[in-house]
Amino acid sequence: MARRYDSRTTIFSPEVEYAMEAISHAGSVLGVLAKDGVVLAAEKKVTGKLLDLSGATTGGYGGSGEKIFLLNSNVVAGVAGFTADAMSLVNYARQSAQRHLLSYNEDIPVEQLAQSLCDLKQGYTQFGGLRPFGVSLLYAGWDPHYQFQLYHSDPSGNYSGWKATCIGANSGTAQSLLKQDYKDDISIEEAIELVLKTMSKTMDSTTLGSEKLEFATLTLDPITKSPRAKIYRPAEVDALLKKHDLAKKEDDVEMSAS
Amino acid sequence: MECSSFGIIGKGYVLLASDTTSGNSIVKMKTDEDKTKTLGQHLVMTYSGQPGDTVQFAEYVERNLRLHQIRHHHELRPAAAAAWIRRSVADALRSRSPYAVNLLVGGFDTSVTAIKEGQEELGGTPKLYWIDYFGTLADVPFAAHGYGSYFVFGLLDRYHDPNASLEEGLVTLRRCIDELSKRLNAAQSNYRVKVVDKDGLQPSFNPVMLALLHQRPTLQDD
Amino acid sequence: MSRSYDRALTVFSPDGHLFQVEYALEAVRKGTCAVGVRGKDVVVLGVEKKSVLQLQDPRTVRKVVMLDDHVSLAFAGLTADGRVLIDKARMECQSHRLTVEDPVTVEYITRHIAGIQQACIFRYTQSGGRRPFGISTLIIGFDPQDTKPRLYMTEPSGIYSAWKANAIGRSSKTVREFLEKNHKDDMTRDETVKLTVKSLLEVVQTGAKNIEISVMDGFGKVSALDLSQIEAIVSEIEHEKEAEAERKRSRLAATAAGQAAMSARAGEDRAAPGA
Repeated sequence: MARRYDSRTTIFSPEVEYAMEAISHAGSVLGVLAKDGVVLAAEKKVTGKLLDLSGATTGGYGGSGEKIFLLNSNVVAGVAGFTADAMSLVNYARQSAQRHLLSYNEDIPVEQLAQSLCDLKQGYTQFGGLRPFGVSLLYAGWDPHYQFQLYHSDPSGNYSGWKATCIGANSGTAQSLLKQDYKDDISIEEAIELVLKTMSKTMDSTTLGSEKLEFATLTLDPITKSPRAKIYRPAEVDALLKKHDLAKKEDDVEMSAS
Repeated sequence: MECSSFGIIGKGYVLLASDTTSGNSIVKMKTDEDKTKTLGQHLVMTYSGQPGDTVQFAEYVERNLRLHQIRHHHELRPAAAAAWIRRSVADALRSRSPYAVNLLVGGFDTSVTAIKEGQEELGGTPKLYWIDYFGTLADVPFAAHGYGSYFVFGLLDRYHDPNASLEEGLVTLRRCIDELSKRLNAAQSNYRVKVVDKDGLQPSFNPVMLALLHQRPTLQDD
Repeated sequence: MSRSYDRALTVFSPDGHLFQVEYALEAVRKGTCAVGVRGKDVVVLGVEKKSVLQLQDPRTVRKVVMLDDHVSLAFAGLTADGRVLIDKARMECQSHRLTVEDPVTVEYITRHIAGIQQACIFRYTQSGGRRPFGISTLIIGFDPQDTKPRLYMTEPSGIYSAWKANAIGRSSKTVREFLEKNHKDDMTRDETVKLTVKSLLEVVQTGAKNIEISVMDGFGKVSALDLSQIEAIVSEIEHEKEAEAERKRSRLAATAAGQAAMSARAGEDRAAPGA
């Protein structure tokens, strides 16, 4: 009788660990902080010849479909884990940001947004609901206090700030690649290159294309000095890959591009 | 309403002044009431209106802003603090317990962005907000509340200079106070003055400042 | 149905413990070590700080936090739980000031925190919440208008207690035993800081860079030691240890030499009659 319990004594909240396990199989999200911006890239898992992407060609409102979402005008996030849970968190984050705007008449500081989501996530490990949120997020944002920032949060409700990091499948490999190649004070252009290079090395598929990759940057508008999030449309992702010489070398793609 | 308070922005600072009289109708009850509240290292507020409401509201604001600072490891920027205070007044106005308070909020924005925005050598941007008990918020270069406001706007239109040094700013403030004692029936003689710059709230016992405040401006003929 | 049955089974263990409390304590034991030491008119918090990963932003790693101007807290256990509990405590500190116009006493806020932890267990056992807070805390501070340094500890079960010195987290037993042996009443500031560092060195092998020290000298007087200051204390302790070892070695050598001489003489004595 007692043995049955003993086997569990070291696992305080096993669901959290299960959730983390689920995330380690999810499509990866990679973020890199540059001195003049932040870059996010994500690997899409839902693919198929018959998948209708025509709706995504215009770049959906506030998101590019599956992985990258605009949380507020100053924060973009990439999600890894259960997509349904992620949608719920994205919705919560957007409301949280709007509540801040209503109270303080300013964009929510990035860390505060991450923190509010983490408080929700922590609550689900301790009280309400039957299981924790099975989602990790990367937040790329800007605020007047700390300028450009990159945060990561996990299902337990922990968060921390990063210069470059990765979540999801193969995140370990990606992180060690980033550790090798990241330099302080890199520019956004270099960061984009670093992200694409790392993604191309760690993604399961041999070729990169807009049907597999989502991409976003956050920079400051040179004139208004306010943050500007850009979630790339599929055509823009393909153009970017082509520019960095990572695009598919298929005839039809080259034909349509020319 | 019987109280008078002023706020003036100068080069790299904002100064706030509030009279120190507390009373009811035509009766003076007290002449050393501090009607200013320090809300943070770089944020000060003057309050006037219904006694009781004012103190209650000021303490509520003080504690909430302090909580925000401890929770999030940085102070709210003056603009965000003013917006929150305005909303508190406006929400209360539409509840069963409105606050009859008029406020001036003066602060110094030291965030990296405020420093970068032109005034690098000043270490940020001075800000001043005028809030009334209806929940009106205005971002202004100078401000006044109370009976005093009927007398000093002309003076401030004429003499306010956003690039004035602290000494010049205090002389302008002195002009306002003098005008009140000259023309206002129920003029007050004692004022509490608070100055905020990049280093935070200046100690009000600063002797140089007091001396300047008591030095009468020389009026020029023109 | 099976869930509630399962839950009922897991509330008490056959030997009368609450399972979830035991699990929570396990989470605390896995947490980084924190030490609190009280001196004559100073109280010090020291924590083991995990090395920040190369690409991590050190600003977001916070181990010793401020609850109010005059109260600091360190915790061991689940970080997210800690953040949430700290947030509640901070709210109470300001709420207390607003309602009674006085800052909280250290015991008051400790009792409040312990109360939240206890309520959580009550909810778990009575109405099916999920689990208790997986953290223990050390709370230091000064009461308003008072000069006596205070140190308290709270545990997942909701117990709180006052201490002269104590440790929580990884290897806290070793550290506590060390403190029991070496703590003296009425220590000066320097002695208190030094004892804190020394006790942390019992579990932190990597030295100054993984230690964070926060000193409170009076009501609202909090300061954190910077790396060079901690390094200086660590090297001082190391020198003392070396000197001590040296003394021990020379004493051993002396004894050994003495013994050798004696046994040599004894040998001679023994040899003589046989000759």
